[in-house]
Amino acid sequence: MVEEVAVPLDIRLRFGRAAVQVVADRIGARVLHIKGDAVHTSLRPTSTGTDVDILVAPADVSKLDRAIRREGWRLYSTFAYGSPFGHAQTYLHDTWGYLDLHRSFPGIRLDAAAAFDVLDRQGFLIDEAGVPCRVPGIDAQAVLLLLNAARAGGRHNADVAWIWDRAATADRERLTELADELRARVALAAATADLEQYRGARDYALWKSISEGGSRSAEWWGRIRAATSARDALALIAQAPRVNIERLTHDLGRAPTRGEVFREFLQRQRRMMAEMRAWTRKPRT
Amino acid sequence: MNAARVAVWESDDIVYVAPLPQGPITVLEGSAARVWSAAHVGPIEDAAERVAGATGLPVEEIRASVDEFVGILEARGLLPPR
Repeated sequence: MVEEVAVPLDIRLRFGRAAVQVVADRIGARVLHIKGDAVHTSLRPTSTGTDVDILVAPADVSKLDRAIRREGWRLYSTFAYGSPFGHAQTYLHDTWGYLDLHRSFPGIRLDAAAAFDVLDRQGFLIDEAGVPCRVPGIDAQAVLLLLNAARAGGRHNADVAWIWDRAATADRERLTELADELRARVALAAATADLEQYRGARDYALWKSISEGGSRSAEWWGRIRAATSARDALALIAQAPRVNIERLTHDLGRAPTRGEVFREFLQRQRRMMAEMRAWTRKPRT
Repeated sequence: MNAARVAVWESDDIVYVAPLPQGPITVLEGSAARVWSAAHVGPIEDAAERVAGATGLPVEEIRASVDEFVGILEARGLLPPR
């Protein structure tokens, strides 16, 4: 009568959201559920995703990280190596699957704490398997989906078509105003094929590279140019040539040997140098 | 076990339940789902009466098996302890 059988993915994801929310409630961490089934149905032409995504108020990231690890979530990839933006950390739980914990959102240049407050401003509660979970307001959800589409380099064009292409002028203006408040106009433009209007912007090169599928080194140079401070830029420069040991571990299914790290380092350097040569030869347009 | 938070999803005749935040997810079908629902909506002690009322079965015929199953649900953290 009681079985532990395969559970449909959409139900497992709902339960996963509920589970992480229960932990957040216990410690008083501010969390917004984003992407996937947390997205309002009016904005969701695509599938419900394969993992749980949450945006956490920056001041609460450390304590939520500690709390979920105590409850069985294992760190899968870190902020440093999880994505080129360093914005999210991925965890894996034996029952709930993958969880992406975002401390910021790619494309938003407003300070992460202030951005969280803006996204939370019109937020509301949704029910996830009996547990109330807070989500951003609907306009904020729309902007996040568009920014996500920009980062996906066109893979999520269904979201752009659904949200932006169908939007009335007044709706576009409202979303653009919100993007301005989040200092996300350039990334929004990358999603809406309007990027060339921002050629002089600090983060133009970054979004040009990402949205058009540029080389990895072009993306790194874009990130360095887009850094908001010299300190951040230096940190990126230091990080750029390092080997992503986490990714190598996942690819190999085990910890890499020193020799494998060494070889990967050389291969990565070679790739970047080849890309740099191609990049510097390419006529600037 | 803290059973104050239980995730629940009902789909057709299947009930998915899990204690939060640790899990696991338990899938209840048929009479199991009926017992869970009966135990969930009122005093646990009266679950057998509610199942009998819903199914038309004599309560004395099902009481032992209902109570045993309620005990299993409690042990899994899927019902508040009595």
